[in-house]
Amino acid sequence: MDPQATIVLGKAIGAGLAMIGAAGGGIGIGISVGGAVMAMGRNPDHTATIQTNMILGVAFAEAVAIYALVVSLIILFVLS
Amino acid sequence: MNSFWNGKRRYVALLLFLAGVFVALVVPPVIPFIQLAGENLPAGYNIPFTDIRITNTFVAAVIVWVLLLLFTAYIARRRPSDGSEVPPGGFYNMFEALYEGLMGFIGGIAGGAHFRLIFNMFMTIFLIVLLSNWMSLIPGVDTVGFIHPHVKEKFDPETQEYKVITTDGFEIYQGFLGISYVNGQCDWVSPADEAAADAAALAAAETEAAAAQQTQLEDAAYARYQAEHGEHGDDHADEASDDHGDSHAEGMADSSAATAAYDEVLAARVAEKQARADRGCYTGVALAPWQDGYNGDKDAKKEPIPLHPDPSSEEAKRVPWVVLPWVRVASTDLNMTLTIALISVVMTQYIGFKALGFGYLTKFFNFATLFKSPLGGIDVAVGLLELIGDFAKILSFSFRLLGAMFAGAILLFVMSFLVPILPWPFFILEFFVGAIQALVFALLTAIFMNLATISHHHDDDHDDEH
Amino acid sequence: MEALGINPGLMLIWLIAFIMLYVLMTRFIYDPLTNVLNERRNRIAKGLDDAAAAAAARQNAEAEAEKILAQARSEAQKVIDEARGRGEDVASGIEQEARQTAAKIQYDAQTEAVATRNAELGNLREQVLQISVAVASRILGENIDAAKQQSLVNNFIAELPADARGLGGSIEVVSAMPLTAAEQAQITSEVGASDASFSVDPSILGGLVVRWSGGLVDGSVRSQLSQMARNLN
Repeated sequence: MDPQATIVLGKAIGAGLAMIGAAGGGIGIGISVGGAVMAMGRNPDHTATIQTNMILGVAFAEAVAIYALVVSLIILFVLS
Repeated sequence: MNSFWNGKRRYVALLLFLAGVFVALVVPPVIPFIQLAGENLPAGYNIPFTDIRITNTFVAAVIVWVLLLLFTAYIARRRPSDGSEVPPGGFYNMFEALYEGLMGFIGGIAGGAHFRLIFNMFMTIFLIVLLSNWMSLIPGVDTVGFIHPHVKEKFDPETQEYKVITTDGFEIYQGFLGISYVNGQCDWVSPADEAAADAAALAAAETEAAAAQQTQLEDAAYARYQAEHGEHGDDHADEASDDHGDSHAEGMADSSAATAAYDEVLAARVAEKQARADRGCYTGVALAPWQDGYNGDKDAKKEPIPLHPDPSSEEAKRVPWVVLPWVRVASTDLNMTLTIALISVVMTQYIGFKALGFGYLTKFFNFATLFKSPLGGIDVAVGLLELIGDFAKILSFSFRLLGAMFAGAILLFVMSFLVPILPWPFFILEFFVGAIQALVFALLTAIFMNLATISHHHDDDHDDEH
Repeated sequence: MEALGINPGLMLIWLIAFIMLYVLMTRFIYDPLTNVLNERRNRIAKGLDDAAAAAAARQNAEAEAEKILAQARSEAQKVIDEARGRGEDVASGIEQEARQTAAKIQYDAQTEAVATRNAELGNLREQVLQISVAVASRILGENIDAAKQQSLVNNFIAELPADARGLGGSIEVVSAMPLTAAEQAQITSEVGASDASFSVDPSILGGLVVRWSGGLVDGSVRSQLSQMARNLN
């Protein structure tokens, strides 16, 4: 097999595998938004506070997914 | 001014939309060459008095600094000098409302004795990162730039000389209004690669033909075998004798099947080249060696690859080109994110020492309870983990921002490439991502700085006393 | 590091730029603006407190004002009543005064009219005297002139009945012509009246008529003429 093609194949597989980590971020975002929506349903008066904290929590959960993305991007565009 | 624009802005937006569609149709979008490190501007663009090449992310950084300086001057000029004055309206008032909201926000998180320092750090990081992030929304950032021959010089140890070699890139065109642009439909193919691909196609054709002939021969042998068996116990002797008699004719049929397979492979290669030519490409479309009129690619190979070709000249066609954007969002460069992350972590340690003195170090090296409490060893381990955690913060800070913004930039131009006429929803998404990432970066700094000012061990001591 | 694009030189420049921006923005935005906003927040809080206090004070003041108004209203009513009473007094006083003045004016006018008539008559005296003397002399055949009048007066006085002398009290003297002050004094002293009023009645033609409460002395030329006419008839 062509060595260049092997490298591309390895990079693609590696980047794809790295992005599995994004699933955790997705689950975290889902849980936090679900909880926030429930809280907003119970306490409509505190919607603003809950929303702010929810966005922050989502951003932190998203960070984990972004680390996976960074690893994947490094595999794709930095490794040669 | 305001009354003039009332009700007319929608037409401006419509006009811009139509202009976007027009440009997308006239100049096909290009997937840019993606690399994580900021692209160096062409040789000669150095930071004054140094030999550091300016990167396009650094250009964006300079723009951000200048904008922030202007912003500072503007606010300093417009702000009221004391609380009794009525604040002026317009942009200043918007900023003041934001500022007051964030003051309340940070006051709720870190409203202690160190509020001023924490809040100033928060605002500075927030404004710098926000402005950097939002630069990705400006048309032309990341897309307009130098058309850059993607070649590099490489030292060849065998011949002891520098050789220009080419890498991936696109073909260059003089297009709309004489502007040079790279054609995203046509990746540049070097003559050597093309010849290699032709040779590979020929080889594949030979293989296919041989395989076809082999299959044919095996089929014939099988048929003969069947026929021989049939002579003993079958009444198809005449057919078998026919086979024997037409053995030469069968050999002819064998070679014709092989020729068909051979031609099929070569025709596929020729069709591939034709498709490229139909897209308007000029590399990788030369006549293949098996076609009539092929004159070899020796003359093309003989000419040296130019290092700095003029984009409008003929020799520009002999190298691949990429767009080197003049400005690329500063937050997609690790230099910026890492520096601000370092500043953030260093300021966290500084404010910890400022608030707690050298007692701050017990947060990391907590041997106080090692021999007093049965769980003292855990405290030591936790302290060491915090130390590691502070170093991890640097990476986490820098890569969170870098990843979000770099992925956002890639998303924007991939979407501009796939849906050239309507990439707006992704711009709106990027708007929010930029704001949230800036807020998260600044807010985490504020939270960590506030945490550093709080002495946990003091509380623990209290618990021990009780 | 190379592939990640990390360049210590660029990072150093970023660090310097960040510190510069931090210092400038702290100096020109954050410090003053935070102060201004805090000050404004305090002012607003203070303003709200002041407003609450002012509202309470206003409520008190309104109640006070209501009280004062009620008081003022009652006082005003009192003053009006008083003024009305006093006005009536004043009006009656003025009326009385006016009436007095009117009476006085009337009296003065009367007196003046009398004096004027007397003066007029005084002017006419000589004429009337000569006319009456002429008439009398025609009738009596003798001249009545001023001296005659004087003599008539003297005669009258001389012929005054005894009971008419020293009468005292008030008498009324009627003469045909206004008497001079000397004649008046003479008559008054002769009669002995304490008070005499003199009036002129040209119809008596000459002489004097003195009336008092008890009787009448008629020394007038008319009565003499009438006497003569009776005697003649």
